Amino acid sequence: MSTSVATRPPLRRAVGRVVGSGLLGAGTTPGRLLRVEAVLVLAALVLGVLGVLGGMSRVSAVHDARTRVAALTTGAADLYQSLADADAMATTGYVSGGLEPATSRARYDDDIERAGRLLTNAAGLLPAGDPAIAAVSTVGEQLPVYTGLVENARALNRLGLPLGQAYLASASKLMQTRILPAVEEVRTAESATLAVTYARAAALPFAVLAVGLAVFVALVDLALRERRRTNRVLNVGLTVAGLAVLACVAWWAVAAITADARIGGARAHTVAGAALDDARIAVLQARSNESLVLVARNSGGGSSDAAFSAHLDDVVNDSGLLTDAERADPQLADRVAALRGAATAWSAAHRDVRRLDDGGQYPQAVASVVGHGPDTSGGAFDALDTALDRTIGEERNAFAVDVEAAEGALVALPWISAALALLAAGAVVIGIGRRVGEYR
Amino acid sequence: MTAPHRTGGVNVARPLVYLGVAAAIGLGSLLLPSTGAAPTPPAPAATAPTNAPGPACSEVKESLRPEGPLPPPGALPAGSTMAKIAARGRLIAGVDQGKYLVGYRNPITGQLEGSDIDIVRRIATAIFGDPNRVQFVVLDIADRQGSLDRGQVDLVVNSFSVTCDRQRTVEFSTAYMAATARVLVPVNSGVREVEDLAGKRVCTSAGSTTERMLRALPARLDVYTLPGIPDCMVDLQHGKAASVSSDDVLLAGLAAQDPQTHVVGRSLLLSDYAVGMRRDTPDLVRFVNGVLEEARADGSLAASDQRWLGRLNPVPRPAPARYRD
Repeated sequence: MSTSVATRPPLRRAVGRVVGSGLLGAGTTPGRLLRVEAVLVLAALVLGVLGVLGGMSRVSAVHDARTRVAALTTGAADLYQSLADADAMATTGYVSGGLEPATSRARYDDDIERAGRLLTNAAGLLPAGDPAIAAVSTVGEQLPVYTGLVENARALNRLGLPLGQAYLASASKLMQTRILPAVEEVRTAESATLAVTYARAAALPFAVLAVGLAVFVALVDLALRERRRTNRVLNVGLTVAGLAVLACVAWWAVAAITADARIGGARAHTVAGAALDDARIAVLQARSNESLVLVARNSGGGSSDAAFSAHLDDVVNDSGLLTDAERADPQLADRVAALRGAATAWSAAHRDVRRLDDGGQYPQAVASVVGHGPDTSGGAFDALDTALDRTIGEERNAFAVDVEAAEGALVALPWISAALALLAAGAVVIGIGRRVGEYR
Repeated sequence: MTAPHRTGGVNVARPLVYLGVAAAIGLGSLLLPSTGAAPTPPAPAATAPTNAPGPACSEVKESLRPEGPLPPPGALPAGSTMAKIAARGRLIAGVDQGKYLVGYRNPITGQLEGSDIDIVRRIATAIFGDPNRVQFVVLDIADRQGSLDRGQVDLVVNSFSVTCDRQRTVEFSTAYMAATARVLVPVNSGVREVEDLAGKRVCTSAGSTTERMLRALPARLDVYTLPGIPDCMVDLQHGKAASVSSDDVLLAGLAAQDPQTHVVGRSLLLSDYAVGMRRDTPDLVRFVNGVLEEARADGSLAASDQRWLGRLNPVPRPAPARYRD
């Protein structure tokens, strides 16, 4: 005994002393075989449990990203757009003079209906304790107040009383200072949640790979030593177990690499989509400013026309939102070039409007802003807005394709892990059991 | 007894070592922090206008005398401010669009109307022979002086009352209307005098002469301000304000829009409305005073006031024009 101890390396000697001297080391060869079997079966089951838990966590993360968090993020962006548009419609409908045009009234009604629908959706998608709940509640509480103020303004307008304008200003202030910031808060919170969810889904599966490889190495090691000890062909049970474990590890590796690539794509589309959402909001704000400066609703000396340029510049300049979108998703290059062209065309049409208004040709300026023809500012805005809307839709579709592919790569992981681990454990039991039986 | 760890024998330690290493790696990976940086929302920029009151001054200056009879449109003195406006093609006037009957946008027509707007059109007629050659710029009450300082407008006709303080930067025409500050309250409030409002919330427009007067009252009102008087009316209708205080002509416009309110109390502060212009355009001031002289003489000023403010009995009339020459 003392000679064999002296030939072993120190680490194994230490392990041998701890586990070997008392419980595991003692006994006959079949006894020791049964203990090895117990360790390997346990290890295979641990691999199975890790695989099932890790797989389910990834699948649920991707599923959550696809069905809930992304829906909340885009829903919040759409909600913002609807509400900002409703406010712009309420304002321009009034200042255009005369009774509100039926088209802007209809668009306002659509915007409010859509906002109500999006808000209900968002509330339904938020789990208890989500940080965005307070902000969604604020929007839900204040939106009826807003529409109440707007309806009061309309009633006064129909009576020809200018007090309606004060109600409208008060409604617009509520929208700009409370409701829209709350929607923005939801969008920010859900974007952060989405980033965390992506990280969870794309994390490297260290535990599964390490345990799987260890079980595989232990099985190979045991099979080779058994073959040498007994001078027989490879034990079938151990071979099957080894292959099952290897298959499990390989499946995990391929699934993780595929999912990581797809999630990277989904993340890029999310970032690009968010930049485009911001661009659409900025374009809408520039549009409101264009209308407001025409009716000389100068408030506090700030020139609205400067605000127009600032909003549009945020979209098109070299470090602007379109550049952000293109950087996140280089495939957008053509789309972004087209959007820049549309923005430049609108900017030129807007300069014409300013030239007309500054030259005292107010009716012609108004006609260009409210018009829809190819040379009018209204038409140029429509073209830009439509192009933005289409590009945002394409980004969201591309996101859905990527995230669905990621989910597809991951969805079988829990079942495959469980099945292969059970197969490995069963094969170990049969393989070693047959060897042990030979000692009876 | 056989050696338990003989080379080639069955050894439980071997799989345990492999698994131990894997467990260490697996546990270690769990302790790694997951990345996922949350974007930070941009901080909203806030700007607060400041109204720094200058040192008190006591005496209101009189205006500048017109230079003879008004020149006809098209024969304006070369190089004068009026000639420059004529060359530009339109008069730029700072007005309000929320003061019913005085300066307001008619929601049905989309046009600006009221007694102040009539003054602007009268001046435009004198320069162009056309009352419509005007670009209206709607101003906040607190921005009336600033718009002149910046050169944004040629003149301000926006219930702009003449004060010694304002005369430091603004040259006023002669008065075209007289007004007096009072309070507007709900009909059923039981309030008869400003003293009944002690401790209650009273709203007025920011940067108005009424604000300073209300704060100085011994009755200790809870005074607060909003950008315009109509904004105060919204608060009154929502029960957030007990009263709106401003000039009687403006309060009459509010009461006309809500029969559940009325104007009560004594006269708190007399003021004269005049056209505000820059101090470096005295020729325009003399010209506008000439226009006002003509409007008083031909009865059109009184007719305009009667048309818009006839419900005030009597229609307020300013003292006759006086000049410092």
